[in-house]
Amino acid sequence: MIINGVFIDDTYAEAFGMKATRIVITADNLTWAKHAANAAFGFATSVIACGCEAGIERELSPGETPDGRPGLAGLLFAVSTKELAKQLERRVGQCVLTCPTTAVFAGCDGEESLPLGKNLRYFGDGWQMSKLIKGKRYWRIPVMDGEFLAEESTGLMRSIGGGNFLVLARSRSKALAACEAAVEAISRVPGAIAPFPGGVVRSGSKIGSKYKALPASTNDAFCPTLRGATKTELSPGVDAVLEIVVDAVTDADMRVAMKAGMDAVCSIGAAGGIVRLSAGNYGGKLGQFHYRLREILA
Amino acid sequence: MTTLTLRAVPNGHVDMTGVLPETLAGRTVDDIERQIIHLAGRPVTLGDLFEVVADESGMLAIRTDCDRLDCLGKGMSTGILRVEGPAGHYAAQTMRGGELDIQGDAGDGAANGMKGGLLRIRGNAGDWLGAALIGDRTGMAGGVVAIEGNVGDRLGDRMRRGLILVRGQAGDACGARLLAGTLVVAGGCGSLPGSGLRRGSLILGRTPASLPPSFNDSGGVELSYLGLLHRHTENFLPGLLPVSTQAHRYMGDLAFGGKGEILVLA
Repeated sequence: MIINGVFIDDTYAEAFGMKATRIVITADNLTWAKHAANAAFGFATSVIACGCEAGIERELSPGETPDGRPGLAGLLFAVSTKELAKQLERRVGQCVLTCPTTAVFAGCDGEESLPLGKNLRYFGDGWQMSKLIKGKRYWRIPVMDGEFLAEESTGLMRSIGGGNFLVLARSRSKALAACEAAVEAISRVPGAIAPFPGGVVRSGSKIGSKYKALPASTNDAFCPTLRGATKTELSPGVDAVLEIVVDAVTDADMRVAMKAGMDAVCSIGAAGGIVRLSAGNYGGKLGQFHYRLREILA
Repeated sequence: MTTLTLRAVPNGHVDMTGVLPETLAGRTVDDIERQIIHLAGRPVTLGDLFEVVADESGMLAIRTDCDRLDCLGKGMSTGILRVEGPAGHYAAQTMRGGELDIQGDAGDGAANGMKGGLLRIRGNAGDWLGAALIGDRTGMAGGVVAIEGNVGDRLGDRMRRGLILVRGQAGDACGARLLAGTLVVAGGCGSLPGSGLRRGSLILGRTPASLPPSFNDSGGVELSYLGLLHRHTENFLPGLLPVSTQAHRYMGDLAFGGKGEILVLA
């Protein structure tokens, strides 16, 4: 398959079942909501060492938030419910509770729930107050700028993490420009995030390492500097590869997000220095979800 | 919609216990007319006092022009009961769900022991609204009460949970002995508001003439909770709360633990 001069590899992205939640962070203005969200969802690029993958899903207008203030919806993904609960509490406790004017609310329902303000309320040292509105409990925790308002719990969703595609280009700048366009397109898809910095990964990894302590190491087959030293996946003319990793709430969201991203890359096309689109997988033995690039782009 | 139209002003108070959308739904006119109610303590049939029109819907309308129908919506758990006229005492007592819409005034003791659902009163209401049933330790424990007019004394006495919204004024001892829950009175209140208040929130649209001496002044605060509450109350009484989240906070009642608050809206 060739789209606008870009060859689409006959391969698939291998993704994994994950646990996810959505939270809504509001503040007096969007700037402070972003400060809180950027801190809470920072250092959340990969579950390998961050505990969770997280990112801002979209901005919310005052009409869309529970307290009528501007806000952001964010998604957090982890490999287990226990880890997700731990990460959520730590990140909200250290980055949202601490941030001036903010409040935090559940952004989804689910059969199971995760504590949001349930344990953070003890920061109030006995002065916290609970309010029950429309069957949902909220905690008002006294802080130095007034109160931190936190919904007691948020929903738990079964979701998918690790959807990906690789952009193979004639130069690093060409690959980056295409990836920026792809991330912009993915950011408009509800229910999906690209958790890496700016949504783009340069350090694609393979499982294992020559060093026994490392669970993953550089994906040498896609490293241009290692051509000639290891078995390469790079075709002639490819001098840089960047990857976009996508986490999504549902299978449909994942497909929409991957298609939006790959369409954006293909629209730049060979004229923009893009040579191929490929994807990372582990031979299909580890991930329950396989996203065939050609099938998504068809 | 099933309708009950009062034939004439009864010569005493009528206990309307058991006359609910859920108990009348699907029954014939004859069957409904044979239902026993009590007039001044004596058993009578519904047909003696009301003209009945029945249908299959879960909605019931009671047309009345007197305030002698007591216990309207008592124990109601589902459906819609519309009272086209005033209600007597104890409306929505122990109500658990559904909606009771009183299009006139209501008497004393409305929403006593209420646990859920929505009570709307388009006119004024009497004393002890949302308070405890006689002999009970706690009052209203859930649901929403929205009153367009004024209410009498002892609003929300010993209330445990839920939300009471009043567009008009409240009488004396508003929110007295409040255990938890939220009272909003936009039009101000009488003396001793929040006396004995333990944990709940009494939100006043106007500064009261005086507060019990066992309240401390916490000063001006900005509470995002008020934004959340504003959005919720717009569903019941639009325009009741201002968009502003600023309030003056008084903490108390310090003679009873001091974990409650009176918020006077800016």
